[in-house]
Amino acid sequence: MGDMIPISYLSARTRSAIVALGLAAALSAACLTDLHRAKRDYTAGQEHAAAMRTEQAVASWKKAADEASGASLRKPSAQSFTVKGLAEANLGRWREAEASFLKAFSLGFAKGESWAADAALAGLAASFAEFGLEAPALRMYAQLLDRSDFRPALMFAAEKRTDLVLAGALGLEPRDRDRALSGLNKALDRLIDRDFACGLYHYLHAQVDGHLGDLRRSYEEAVMARQLGLPAEKILRDNDNQLVYCYLRLSGSLPAAEAEAFAAAHARWAGRWGWRDARTPAWKKE
Amino acid sequence: MSKKSVEAALARGVEILKAFLPLKSWLVFPVLYSACVWAVRRVFDFRERILAWQVWLDPDFVRAKPDEFVLAFFCGHEALGREYADEIARGDMRVLRAAFPALYPVLGLEDAFLKALFKAEIDASDYRAIVVAFASRTAKAMEDIRPAAADPEFWKALYFAAAEAASLGLHLLKDEEVQNMIVALVKKPAGAAPAIPPDA
Repeated sequence: MGDMIPISYLSARTRSAIVALGLAAALSAACLTDLHRAKRDYTAGQEHAAAMRTEQAVASWKKAADEASGASLRKPSAQSFTVKGLAEANLGRWREAEASFLKAFSLGFAKGESWAADAALAGLAASFAEFGLEAPALRMYAQLLDRSDFRPALMFAAEKRTDLVLAGALGLEPRDRDRALSGLNKALDRLIDRDFACGLYHYLHAQVDGHLGDLRRSYEEAVMARQLGLPAEKILRDNDNQLVYCYLRLSGSLPAAEAEAFAAAHARWAGRWGWRDARTPAWKKE
Repeated sequence: MSKKSVEAALARGVEILKAFLPLKSWLVFPVLYSACVWAVRRVFDFRERILAWQVWLDPDFVRAKPDEFVLAFFCGHEALGREYADEIARGDMRVLRAAFPALYPVLGLEDAFLKALFKAEIDASDYRAIVVAFASRTAKAMEDIRPAAADPEFWKALYFAAAEAASLGLHLLKDEEVQNMIVALVKKPAGAAPAIPPDA
């Protein structure tokens, strides 16, 4: 077995040093493992979200937040606080996310400060909306949409602002309503230009187009949303219902030849998505 | 697959769940049925799936739908169209819009838990009763499920019951059959707590 020196031959001081070194190594390994696991679970959450497995995504982000929290307690680092903040933001825990990003900033993550500000604004806007103070909430959402580059806050603001504007537009005169909705669509167009692959923006656009009566565009946006992925099953189902609604309305209003071509194209999409027929998504019970 | 073995697995599930939901056995049916729906689809994160309806009770986008979409929803569902034929003919959007937030999550988005929660009304095509009972029954369900939902053993028991039934061929049965099977099992012992939700 070579020339190993039995530990009992070492002085008490050397033995303590070895034990301390061993402990430090073990603790540091535990820290790395926690952060590594947090990163892995956060990434898994992103993958689940992209594949529309919302509940699994939420479960993964919760795990990631817990693990990153453990890692940042043992060995605070910009990385561990950033992963924690990202997971918290995806879970809609804006206040906690703000605190995490500020800590990440203090430890050297340059973007931490602006992300913390965006998380704070998103949380504040949500609180205002919850208490029925829609006008200030709308201003905050608009501000986020104009200047934020933090995706979770952007997606949250886009969804909430669209819902608020659509709900408000229901009570307006047609001219004012169309003006409000066109403004909303321009904002969504800008978001789509910045991040074309985000299915949620296309879904929101399809909803606004539906309100404006532009069913052709609504159908196209809903198809894109379906293809790119949506953040929750209920949104996916609502998007499918929008597709069926547009399909039926358009089929009835198009000239015969165009309607036939449209029906054939829709049948191809429906086949690709595994629908039972042109108007029955797979999740619909008989 | 034997229908009997699926039924036996579900019966075991009902018995175990009744222990977690004492005096609340009306919740056993929606909980177990929705767990079965997810088990058949090989999706086993029951906790998140089953509790998801609470998040979706009144999503903002439901209230913001345009009148044409609301009208198409009522006309596109045969029995619903019959029930609301007068309002549709009159173009009474006030009544249709008021009913939409209750009926769309159940019949439009087809949440498994909510569908089971209103099974009696759906079977009787009594859609107006869903609208009347929606807020109180969902609030009661949320309240009554809370203690059990906080217990990890409850979810474990539910997982085993639904997964066992799924492994025995649950997917080969019609939805209606599974629902009736669970309802019969919940009602089975004489004098047991009601399988029909008590409306406040």
